[in-house]
Amino acid sequence: MLQQLLAIIIILFFVFRLVIQKKKNLISKNEFFLWLSFWALSAGAIIFIKQIDRLVASLGFSGSGINFLIYLAVLALFYLVFRLRLDLAKMDRNLTEIVRQMTLKK
Amino acid sequence: MKITCVIPAWNEEKNIAKVIADVRPYVDEVVVIDDCSQDKTSELATAAGATVFRHPINRGQGAALQTGNDYALSEGADIIVHFDADDQFLSSEIKDMVAPIISGQADIVFGSRFLGKKANLPFVKRIIIMPLAHIFTRLILGIRLSDPQNGFRAMSRSAAESIRIGNREMAHNSEIQIEAFRQRLRIAEVPITVVYHHFGQKLSGGFKVARDLLIHKIIK
Repeated sequence: MLQQLLAIIIILFFVFRLVIQKKKNLISKNEFFLWLSFWALSAGAIIFIKQIDRLVASLGFSGSGINFLIYLAVLALFYLVFRLRLDLAKMDRNLTEIVRQMTLKK
Repeated sequence: MKITCVIPAWNEEKNIAKVIADVRPYVDEVVVIDDCSQDKTSELATAAGATVFRHPINRGQGAALQTGNDYALSEGADIIVHFDADDQFLSSEIKDMVAPIISGQADIVFGSRFLGKKANLPFVKRIIIMPLAHIFTRLILGIRLSDPQNGFRAMSRSAAESIRIGNREMAHNSEIQIEAFRQRLRIAEVPITVVYHHFGQKLSGGFKVARDLLIHKIIK
């Protein structure tokens, strides 16, 4: 219970920071809602951790709900890093093409 | 037939003038792509009689070669030769490299250190790196060449038009070979000599090539 409370406080802190960033126009509306949804989902997962425990057990997994959430989070992180790597590669390729056109125009 | 030699160069002020002077008798035009050198590569290459272009930022050998190909094609080149700026190839062998294209037997010609001519490969490269590279290129990439790690190549106009180099760094070498096989171009190998002045690509470079090829394949 205490751990859940601490986690919720940490999430509220990040949501507070998010609202400040939006007020200062440091992030776009879409970005604001994306991160707000992320933190809302995280808070939901923590509040309903017992139900997730039961769901995980009913699916045949032996670990607890929190373990399951961590596995999901790691998978999501891998995916996001991979997507970032691909986006960077695309930008890099476009940059090379721009450099080539500038070079040959001179 | 107009033969254009494309030489990518990065900080090659020591060798570039000699390389251009050596190559000029065998081709119609020498194009140097200076990949944002910090030394006098551009000035020396211009003085030596080459057509010089300079990338405003460093983009890698593969990017420089494609810039050279684009220019050569726009100027009506019939054959494009890729040659290194570090003086490790013999310019006199350019005529052997272009011969199969001139005679209509090949669309693309790859130089090979393992077809009879002497190659003073560094020991570690000969014993460890080259066999590993051979296994990787043959089994994973499907490249059936005697020397898949060689940058001395010649291509016909149509081959240069059909192969667009997307890998800006060292993976361009495998990429060109993969494309040549995939497009079923007529491929020839010609024995060449390589004079090593430095070690060249290390084993870690090989892993980077594999990674770059994979990423390029995904975003293509």
